[in-house]
Amino acid sequence: MASMLSPTAQSGSNIEVHKYYGGTVIITAFLALVLQAFLHKYGHWAELIDLPLLVTIYFGVSRRNPVSGMFLGAAIGILQDALGHDNPIGIFGISKTLVGYVASSVGARIDTEHPVSRFGLVFLLFHFHQAVRAFMERVLLNQLEPFFTWQLTLDSLVTAAFGVALFALLDRLRRTQ
Amino acid sequence: MNDVYSRHRPLALLACVILAQVLLLAFQIKREHDVRLIRYWAVTLLTPAERMGTWAFSSVGGVWSGYVGLRHTHADNERLHSDLDQLRLRNRELEAKASEAQRLAVLLNFKESHGEAPMLAAQVIGASADPSSHTLFINRGERDHLRRNLPVITPDGVVGKIVEVYPSTSQVLLINDKDSGVGALFSDTRTHGVVKGSGEPEPRMDYVVNDEKVSPGEYILTSGDDRIFPKGLLIGIVADASSGMPFQAIRVKPATRLDRLEDVIVLLTQQELTPKKSDEVSDVAIEPPPAPAPSSNAAANAPRRAAGVPKSTAASNPAGNTPQPKSDDPQPDSAAPQE
Repeated sequence: MASMLSPTAQSGSNIEVHKYYGGTVIITAFLALVLQAFLHKYGHWAELIDLPLLVTIYFGVSRRNPVSGMFLGAAIGILQDALGHDNPIGIFGISKTLVGYVASSVGARIDTEHPVSRFGLVFLLFHFHQAVRAFMERVLLNQLEPFFTWQLTLDSLVTAAFGVALFALLDRLRRTQ
Repeated sequence: MNDVYSRHRPLALLACVILAQVLLLAFQIKREHDVRLIRYWAVTLLTPAERMGTWAFSSVGGVWSGYVGLRHTHADNERLHSDLDQLRLRNRELEAKASEAQRLAVLLNFKESHGEAPMLAAQVIGASADPSSHTLFINRGERDHLRRNLPVITPDGVVGKIVEVYPSTSQVLLINDKDSGVGALFSDTRTHGVVKGSGEPEPRMDYVVNDEKVSPGEYILTSGDDRIFPKGLLIGIVADASSGMPFQAIRVKPATRLDRLEDVIVLLTQQELTPKKSDEVSDVAIEPPPAPAPSSNAAANAPRRAAGVPKSTAASNPAGNTPQPKSDDPQPDSAAPQE
């Protein structure tokens, strides 16, 4: 497992590492958090899509650096926690830290440019994120957050579908070399 | 050693970051402390953007509802205009009916207050085509047992007399027609004369000698001399009087608006009208008060009561030519017939 996730494994890979213009990652993450909080007040449909999670996954698989992916996930997760009312800070932080790390590690090994692979990756990472979150809440907060529901499945499908479109849009922000 | 460190550095960092957050969670749970500073920073960082987003969203929404959403407004406006026109038409119909009901109520009140006298309400259905002829057509005729020379009045005063009777209509000669003549007397001096039409809107009173003192505003009543109109009905008031040869030239202002008649009463008798003695009509007088004030206001106030309309209906005069009585006017009870 460790060797699979190790960044040194990517040294032998010929998968391209994408670069972005300065501030792109921060601004995109910021906008994702703002939009997530902003759209939430216009209806529950906004809850179907986890924009901060999508941004974490996207920059993780694109930059293919587990450390930066991990820190980006941690920052986004902690801010997402902070914007909540009764969430202790750290639940989303830990979940997205792990998602960022795993996404970067996976992106270093497989090609994630194809829409189908992106869809599958987002779908799986969504449930991974939910599993970590549920585990943390059960262990640390003694709250019975479910690991799986049909609603979560629907959410993951919608998020994955939206993610494919969003990733295509974010691809335009890449710096051409 | 360095190789191991560099190989496991990301994992170690991950473990550190996770551990740090777990400790942060544990701190919050154990001490029940909220990490308010982080929340404060997060909110401070994000809320301006949210505020801007809300403003932009509402602006776009305002543009949408103000311009794009107005595409149905024209059709709505047309429909509302159409509805408004229909409602206006309906409103006019109802106003006309209300006005008619008001007039009929006045007639009914008059009829009830003179229950002893046989009378018949009629509606004005037309007028003469000849501009010099002041006549009307009413919707009553031979079938209603009308005959020539029956007096026609309103609660305000004398209108004229029937000159022609047809099966279902009758022609009424107004008192201002040049062929009309009504036996009259002044309510104050009891001087007799004849109110004659002159072809003008206002008739004259003839055969009053120059020595007779005539004041503007004085009441002119029917005298009964013509054997058509019952005695004591109000014809009008003196508008102005001047000496003439051989008699005074007295212009009479009719008590009834002869140019706005819609409903009239045909009296089927030539006997003097006597109001009922009931409480409701106790303040009804056929004649005006015996000593009218010389002022024009008092004169203008007098005709309604003099024509026998109860006070309660005085405000609903369809002709609109009789202002409310002044407080200094004599009470109707004291205005009993003087004869």
